Amino acid sequence: MSDSIVSAAKRLSAVLYEIPVTARPGMRVPARVFADERLWERLATDRSLEQLVNVATLPGVVGHVLAMPDVHEGYGFPVGGVAAMRREDGVVSPGGVGYDINCGVRLLASELEAAAVQDRIEAVVHDLSRSIPSGPHANRALSLTREELDRVLEQGVPALVERGLATEDDLAHTEAGGALPGADASAVSARAKDRGHDQLGTIGSGNHFVEVQVVDEVFDDAAALAYGLRKGQLAVLIHTGSRGLGHQVCTDYVRELDRVMPRYGITLPDRQLACAPLASPEGQRYLAAMAAAANFAWSNRQAITHAARRVFDRAFGRQGTLRLVYDVAHNIAKLERHQDAETCVHRKGATRAFGPSHPETPAAYRTVGQPVLIPGSMGTASYILAGQDAAYEASFGSCCHGAGRALSRGAAKRSRSGTEVRRELQARGIVVRCSSNEELAEEAPHAYKDVEAVVSVVHQAGLARKVARLRPLGVIKG
Amino acid sequence: MIAGHEFLDHTGELELRVWAPTLEALFAEAGRALREIELPAVSPAYPTSRRTVSVRAPDRAALLVEWLNELIFLAERDRWVAAEFGPGVVAESEARFEVTGVEAPAAPSEVKAATFHNLRLQPLDGGWQADVILDV
Repeated sequence: MSDSIVSAAKRLSAVLYEIPVTARPGMRVPARVFADERLWERLATDRSLEQLVNVATLPGVVGHVLAMPDVHEGYGFPVGGVAAMRREDGVVSPGGVGYDINCGVRLLASELEAAAVQDRIEAVVHDLSRSIPSGPHANRALSLTREELDRVLEQGVPALVERGLATEDDLAHTEAGGALPGADASAVSARAKDRGHDQLGTIGSGNHFVEVQVVDEVFDDAAALAYGLRKGQLAVLIHTGSRGLGHQVCTDYVRELDRVMPRYGITLPDRQLACAPLASPEGQRYLAAMAAAANFAWSNRQAITHAARRVFDRAFGRQGTLRLVYDVAHNIAKLERHQDAETCVHRKGATRAFGPSHPETPAAYRTVGQPVLIPGSMGTASYILAGQDAAYEASFGSCCHGAGRALSRGAAKRSRSGTEVRRELQARGIVVRCSSNEELAEEAPHAYKDVEAVVSVVHQAGLARKVARLRPLGVIKG
Repeated sequence: MIAGHEFLDHTGELELRVWAPTLEALFAEAGRALREIELPAVSPAYPTSRRTVSVRAPDRAALLVEWLNELIFLAERDRWVAAEFGPGVVAESEARFEVTGVEAPAAPSEVKAATFHNLRLQPLDGGWQADVILDV
C-alpha cells in the first residue's frame, strides 16, 4: 500500500512532497508531507503515509491533508497529521485528536544563569520529582470534588486563578487563554471524571516529562528578546496532557461515533477514524467534551507550574521566579477560519504556529509570532520557534511537535537497557529521576528521529523559524 | 491450539496479537496480556477480589475493544488489575466473565486505551486470532 503511495508522490521542493488525489480511490484532497529526502525515505518503513491518505477520504476535508516532518505511524490519523474540515459539511473525528487530548508543552523561564546555580541543579530536580507526581501516580494533595472538577472542565485555567494556582499573566501566555470555548462538563462521562479527579498536577507516563533546561543557543536575537530568553538562562519545560480524563473522553466518543456513522451514511477505510458531522448533535457533543478535556490539560500543566514555582522559590527565592513564556497544545481540534472557510482543524501531534499578524498571537509576541515549543526526546535538545504568517496558507497555521518516534518501544528496549540509558544521560551531566528503567529504555534518545533535522525542515518550509535551542540539565519522567 | 499472545512492533504504540481455541479463551488471554503491561510483577502478597465484568458492543471485534477498555478503566480507577479469568461467555454482542483481580499497592502502569485501528478478530486454524493496537 505505502509503496504505491510513495511512487505516486511528487517532490514539490527540497522540503515538501505531494501525494496526488489519484494515488488511491476515495481521496477527496491531495496529501502533502513536509520532509527532506532522508526523512521522506524513512516514512516508507511504517504506515504513516497510508494513514495520511485515509484521512484524505474524510467528508468535508479541505485543501490538503498534511504530515509534519516528525510524522510517524499512529492509529487512525498518523501522529504529526493535520486536517481541516469545513464546518458546514465536514466531520469531527476523535481519532484526529487522539486519546491524550491537549497533550502539549509549556516553557517557564527564570532569571537565573544556569552556570551560577549548577551545583544546586541536582537538589532542584530531586525536589521537583518529589513535588510533582509522575508515572501512574495521583495527586492526592489536589484531589478535586465533582463540582471543582466541573469548574475546571468548563472554565479551564481561569478557574485556578482564584485558588492561587495561576496568574492573569499566565492566562495571557497560554494558547486560547487556557480555556477553549464551548466546553461542557455534562458532555464528559462520570467514568472520565473518575479517572481524572485526582490527576490534576501530574505528569503521567509515556513520553511525558518535566525537564530543567538551559538556553544553550540563540538563533534569532529579536524573537528571543520578545520571548524574554537569553543564552545561559535556566528554564523548565513541561510536556504532558489531559491524563486519564482525556483518555476516557476519547474512548467514550470513538465508541459513540462508531455506532452513529451509519445514520450519516459515512463509511471509512479505518474504523479508528470514527467521526460525525460537525453540525450533528453527536459531533457537537464531542467538541464540547474535547474542549472540557483540553481545559483540564491546560489546568494540569498550570498545576505543575505552581508546584515547580514553589520548588524554585524554596531553592532560589525571588530570583527563581518562573515566568510562563508560552503553553501550546499539540493534540487538539479547533474551530478556525482558513482558506475563506470556517473549518475545524485537527492537529494530532502538530503544534499551532500562528504568525505575527494573527489576532490570537499574544500581544507581547505580535512583532515576531507565537512561540512554538518543540520538545526533543527525553534528554536531547528542545527548540523554541516563532510561528510565521506563511504557515497560515501552507499548513493551516501548523508546525511539527517534536522529534517523532523512529523505533518502536520494543526495538528501543532491545537495543539498549534502561540502566545503560540512565548511565549515558548521567555521563552527559543530566540528572535523571525516573522510577522505571523500562520507561527509560522505551523513551531513550536513539528511539526518536533527529529533532534538529525535523526543526530544520519547518524552518526551511517557512512554517516557523528557529529562535533558540535548550539543553536538558535534569529530567523527571513517569 | 493453545492460547497465547505476543506484542508486535509498532512505531508509536503497542500492537497485541492474541490467539486461542475459543472466543472465551481469546478474551481471557487478551486480559492476561493487558495485565502483563499494567502490572508486570504480581506478588502473592497482594490482596485479590472477584468481580463480574460485562461489556456490550455492536459486533465481536468491537466487543474485544470494549472488553480491554473496561479492564483499563477498572485498573486506573480502582487500582484493580484483572489477572485471572474464570467462567465466561462471549456472544455476538455481549461478553461476561468472572474475573479475579489484584488490588495493586500502587497505580498500575498506564495504558490509555484499546483502539479500533487495524482491528482484526477472525477464525484461524480451528480457533481464533485477534490483532488490537493499544495506545500506551
